Amino acid sequence: MSDTALAPALQVSQRRPRPGMLRRLARDRLALAAGLVLLAIVLAALLAPWIAPHDPYLTTRRRMLPPVWEARGTWTYLLGTDSLGRCMLSRLLYGTRATLMVGITATAIGGAIGMLIGFIAAFYRRLDGLLMRINDVLLSIPAILLGLALAAVIGSGLPAIIAALVVATVPTVARVTRGAALVVMAQDFMEAGRSIGLPDHTLIWRYLALNCISSVFVYLTLRFAQSILLGAILSFLGLGAQPPAAELGMMASSGRNELFIAPHIATIPSLAIVVIVLCANILGDALRDLLDPRLRKL
Amino acid sequence: MLKHLAQRMLMSVPVLLGVLLLGFLLLQLVPGDVARVIAGPTATQDVVDQIRGDLGLDRPLVVQFLLYLGRVLQGDLGYSMINNTAVASELAQALWPTAELVIACLIWAIPAGIALGAVAAMNRGRWIDRAVIAFSVIGVSTPVFFFALILMIWLGYHWQLFPFLGRSGPIWTLEGLASLVLPALTLGLSFIGPVARMTRTSALEVMNADHVRTARAKGLKERTVVLRHVLRNALIPVVTLIGLQAGFLLGGAVVTETIFSWPGVGRMAVGAILSRDLPLAQGAILVLALCFIVINLAVDLMYAALDPRVKAA
Repeated sequence: MSDTALAPALQVSQRRPRPGMLRRLARDRLALAAGLVLLAIVLAALLAPWIAPHDPYLTTRRRMLPPVWEARGTWTYLLGTDSLGRCMLSRLLYGTRATLMVGITATAIGGAIGMLIGFIAAFYRRLDGLLMRINDVLLSIPAILLGLALAAVIGSGLPAIIAALVVATVPTVARVTRGAALVVMAQDFMEAGRSIGLPDHTLIWRYLALNCISSVFVYLTLRFAQSILLGAILSFLGLGAQPPAAELGMMASSGRNELFIAPHIATIPSLAIVVIVLCANILGDALRDLLDPRLRKL
Repeated sequence: MLKHLAQRMLMSVPVLLGVLLLGFLLLQLVPGDVARVIAGPTATQDVVDQIRGDLGLDRPLVVQFLLYLGRVLQGDLGYSMINNTAVASELAQALWPTAELVIACLIWAIPAGIALGAVAAMNRGRWIDRAVIAFSVIGVSTPVFFFALILMIWLGYHWQLFPFLGRSGPIWTLEGLASLVLPALTLGLSFIGPVARMTRTSALEVMNADHVRTARAKGLKERTVVLRHVLRNALIPVVTLIGLQAGFLLGGAVVTETIFSWPGVGRMAVGAILSRDLPLAQGAILVLALCFIVINLAVDLMYAALDPRVKAA
């Protein structure tokens, strides 16, 4: 009998994603709304080339037009134009695309590396001390400093920002993963799997990883919100996307020169960031409460 | 207590070394001959050679790093590539404005956050509680520059209450104090959310504790119970949070200084990086890292003051 036949019987855990979790999430109306808004934003960003009304890089002579709801607004440019006469709505769509891309890439890469470190630390206890000490050092370097230093080393641009966000994500994810993995390691089925002679990689990926992945994913939702926020701040400082590219933080920053004549150029992209981060935070909080009801009663 | 403190200081040594190493590698990346770049395009070969010898650039990298460490420990951070002034003295001038900003922010934001959190916890489930939660979630989701832009537009431009560009003088003059208001408000707004939330959560936890029930049972006034028995215990996690958020606070300071043209270390770091003035950037990042470590040490000391158990340990 192969060892994989035994595997399903052994995979019993209190941490397994419970059925109906999505349904329970849907009952939380605020979280549902946040999820839907986030979904709509992601779709709009993905479809940017098709739904943007204008070319986001095309400069026109109709500069600093206000949005449609203000006195001088026009229907041609729903959100007005920026200081170079570029369509704000189109730039917003493309900018959201770039911002989301930075957040998702950083969270995915940082999350993957962090999870791997967390699993290894929990599984091979001999490495635990060393890995966690290195982790503590990384954890104690503020993310903005990392961003500044990396931008100084590799030059400003999205790669520098993503690298900084990855380095900031890894230690936090590693710590959360290790915590969740240690709980799973103490379960009987891990011992059982070991005693029937399963190889380490099966134990790690089929038993350990699958059983703590849901709590790590919830954390990644919150981490994603952080990455978007931080990435936008670094871009705002001029260390990220370079003009004429559209990126929300950079757009907000470039609107500073016209802050009092045409405040919408800076405030609309800033608001977009707030909405994205807020939705991700609400969703992450709701998911965490679902997964760990002990936190809920507070 | 002393042992605890010593341990914490030892913990920060690797961080400091890491930052120093990063700073050192930064200078290795200057394209071309570093000595030539530092000396400037018009310098003679003799001057370039002398600089190379002075900085030990003809030695192996490890030796160079040790030499660099030695120089940093003596307070020599090199010279700015753009205006050729000593980096250390530039930074010394920028340090005080940054300290002003951070301290002014903490002075209003921590009490405000604690008050909001305590009020929310005492009115759990009512509208005021929900308002505080909403405020703090929105607060942590808002990039600090958005607060700055809004305050600039309304308090600075439309209502003309406070100046919003630069630092008009030392803090003890009226103009200096007025110019500090908007930056300190901005930085504080981004800090108040997490503090309020943490205070609320930990106050709710403490309110259910046995010693609070005892205090109530022996007939103490509600005010005494909240202030003496709940808040003091609830503040311990809040202090931890302030330490954890120190990096975030410094990051916020970097952004705030840049937007308000506040002549602090953060603005200097960003300016230096954007103009590729590497020695200055290196020094500024090093100073910011030092600030971070100092804030965390201060938090540890506060811990001991709040929680006698730490002192005993």
